[in-house]
Amino acid sequence: MIHKLRFDKYSALYLWALFMVYFGVTQSDTFLTWTTFKLVVIENVITGVIALAFLVPLTTGTYDLSVGAMMSMSLVVSAYLSSHGTVSPVLAMLIGLGACAVAGFISGFFVVKLNVNSFIATLGMTEVATAFILHTSQQSITSAFPQSFMDIGSKPIFGLPRFVYYLAILAIVLWFVLEHTPLGRYMFATGGNPEAARLAGVKTGRLIWGSLIASAVIAGFAGTIYAWKIGNYAQAVGPGYLFPAIAAVFFGASQLKSRPNVWGTLIALYALAWGIKGLQLTFSSNTIWIEPLFQGVSLLAAVSLASRQGIVRVPKPKKHKVGEDEPPADAAATEPPVATSTATD
Amino acid sequence: MGELLRIEHLWKTFPGQVALCDVGLEVDAGEVHALVGQNGSGKSTLIKVLCGYHQPDAGDAQAWVKGEPLTLGDGQAAAAAGIRFVHQDLGLVGSISAVENIALGVGYETGRFGRIRWRQEVKRTRAALEGLGLGNIDVKAPVSSLPPAQRTAVAIARALTGWQYGASLLVLDEPTATLPGDDVERLFEVIQHLRAQGISILYVSHHLDEVFELADRVTVLRDGKKVDTMLVRELDHSKLVELIVGHHIDTTTVSESSVTGRPVLSVRGLEGGTVRGVDLDVYPGEIVGLAGITGSGREDVLDLIAGQMPRDDGEVVVDGSHIDNYQPWDGIEAGMAFVPAERAVRGVIGTMNVRENLSLCDVARFVRAGRLSRRAELAETKQWIERLSIKTSGTEAPIGSLSGGNQQKVLFGKALRLAPKVLLLDEPTQGIDIGAKDQIHRLIDEAAASGMATLVASTDTDELVRLCHRIVVLANGRVRTTLVGDQISTERIEHAQLESARRAS
Repeated sequence: MIHKLRFDKYSALYLWALFMVYFGVTQSDTFLTWTTFKLVVIENVITGVIALAFLVPLTTGTYDLSVGAMMSMSLVVSAYLSSHGTVSPVLAMLIGLGACAVAGFISGFFVVKLNVNSFIATLGMTEVATAFILHTSQQSITSAFPQSFMDIGSKPIFGLPRFVYYLAILAIVLWFVLEHTPLGRYMFATGGNPEAARLAGVKTGRLIWGSLIASAVIAGFAGTIYAWKIGNYAQAVGPGYLFPAIAAVFFGASQLKSRPNVWGTLIALYALAWGIKGLQLTFSSNTIWIEPLFQGVSLLAAVSLASRQGIVRVPKPKKHKVGEDEPPADAAATEPPVATSTATD
Repeated sequence: MGELLRIEHLWKTFPGQVALCDVGLEVDAGEVHALVGQNGSGKSTLIKVLCGYHQPDAGDAQAWVKGEPLTLGDGQAAAAAGIRFVHQDLGLVGSISAVENIALGVGYETGRFGRIRWRQEVKRTRAALEGLGLGNIDVKAPVSSLPPAQRTAVAIARALTGWQYGASLLVLDEPTATLPGDDVERLFEVIQHLRAQGISILYVSHHLDEVFELADRVTVLRDGKKVDTMLVRELDHSKLVELIVGHHIDTTTVSESSVTGRPVLSVRGLEGGTVRGVDLDVYPGEIVGLAGITGSGREDVLDLIAGQMPRDDGEVVVDGSHIDNYQPWDGIEAGMAFVPAERAVRGVIGTMNVRENLSLCDVARFVRAGRLSRRAELAETKQWIERLSIKTSGTEAPIGSLSGGNQQKVLFGKALRLAPKVLLLDEPTQGIDIGAKDQIHRLIDEAAASGMATLVASTDTDELVRLCHRIVVLANGRVRTTLVGDQISTERIEHAQLESARRAS
């Protein structure tokens, strides 16, 4: 019975349902309202975009820790350029994304060409980008973005600002690419075993490089959304989103499939978001500590639940061993207790 | 000789499967006792029960060491009885030295303030290795930098160090699986050395030659049942194979040569790695074998041709088109398919299932209207599973849940579905059981019969004899001898390999 319900693979969904029911009952006048719904959705769009940015290179076994810094960088570049009036805000935004692409390209160069561990390369890139952001922030930046620019992202459709739909579009595109195209298959192969993938003709270097560029640009887009949402420039807001985003990706990797995936990430993110909101409503004041506590505990609990079954397969860098000759094939169907076997995708 | 270990009525069932069925085993004091059987025959399960990893089924299972009862499935009891294990992957930590690896097992000797007494540790390690007749190992170098035979020796030394209860039984699980040929001899010397000291060895192996060279007695398991325990000197090779497989395998089939036309693969002056100038031609339908001791260039030729290793020099022509230094994808593009050695590291992608592994090379084939068609992919995967009789619970089973032989078949399917002109096979049956080996040999025959030009590099001379129309023996990075037709025999290949090695040194 327990197995049928698949608590390991759908723990976030069960958790989500539990929150809806529990807080729906205890906080009946506030929790299940349009205002709360809107608030939770909007508040988590940036984290969602950052999480998806982190997810893309993770499928190739590459960690991009610079996603938070990329968000800040795109924000500072577009704010600087548009406040100096030389270019239109839209062009400034595109240049901001372009700057992120360049940074991603440089990270990729270190990772692919110079064989630097991605963890280290992107950490270094974070620091360099931070220096760039601090330097640029010293120039005068008028903080407000013009209304015409704001409208592109924040004008409501069905009561929700446009950028909510942009997140949905981004998620659909990434899901399609990762799960339904050869490109996605090659990326997961690279993450699973780079050497075997290369021998099978997969251009692993290019995929890793490309995924770092993509993640930088997607993270840069999170900066754009920040501009649309807040309307003002703020210095170094990006890194704050890093942990919740990574937590969502790893929690999400235990959901639906046994590898990092788009919908798992978003489900994990929003399940937690509703829980946090419920707790905040319950404890009304001084609730700033709830969010990290909740994210940390849920991440540990969900990944433990899934790891017990041996199903979370977050790509490891470089070689790792696969099953030995035993157990025999006919035992595979019955999952002998030894093998870390996986439920089928 | 007295009896050292006796196991009786051992049952072990996994959900839906009986792994061991009333198995018994007797090992005498001071003997090398081989344990053989195909994958899935239960030998690994037996070892895992002995070392306490698995619990036996409740029931009649009983065991004695030197007449004293032993609780099966209890690792500490086994250790206390003096049974030690060296598992297939050795379990060493590669980045630290032999001294540190041995201390991991038994703990460090410490002096004042908890300081490790390094000099004592080094001395102890040296002594342990000298006890194996191997005093010349660099005990301070990271273990990963040692040659494979020395690594195995370190693992054995670790198993034997701190043996306070007296030597009794050392279990070696596939110790030669990753050892190159001449290192195997060195390992055998170590084993003989141990036997001379009165230690019994339980030796698990796929390599029947080793059984004949080393073992006093052999126990054969098949489908979880004990077939028999016999004196090795009363057996011959084909009799043992028959016991293992349960029926007669014709090992003498020599493939018919059907060489026609122009060579589809032509290699001139190939250089790189250990290869220093190799010329080769392979014709459609031909199976050419590459033999040679480790370091002869045999291990690098296929990597160079497939584009995995950068070439220093030389020319590779596939079906008339020259290809310069290229990457694996260019090789595939040109019509080559490569099944590399070291399946677990270089072949399968452990995070993916059977379907994804099988279709990886040309997954773009399944694109319909811009997206991967699951239906088309499933249909083709099922075909290949059937065609290669791959034993799996389904297309979505994780690749790691398959036995080694079946994983290898998946990799063959992955190569064959490209319908390559040239098939490159490196150690095609490394570490897989004899039944799956036979099936893979048939697949290679069929591939050649359909017109593929096949190049097989193997350390298994019998395999080359079984498969090849022509065998190229390498030494010192060059072609030393080519054997054709009647000249092909195990003795001749081994003779040529050793001859060239001797001449080289």
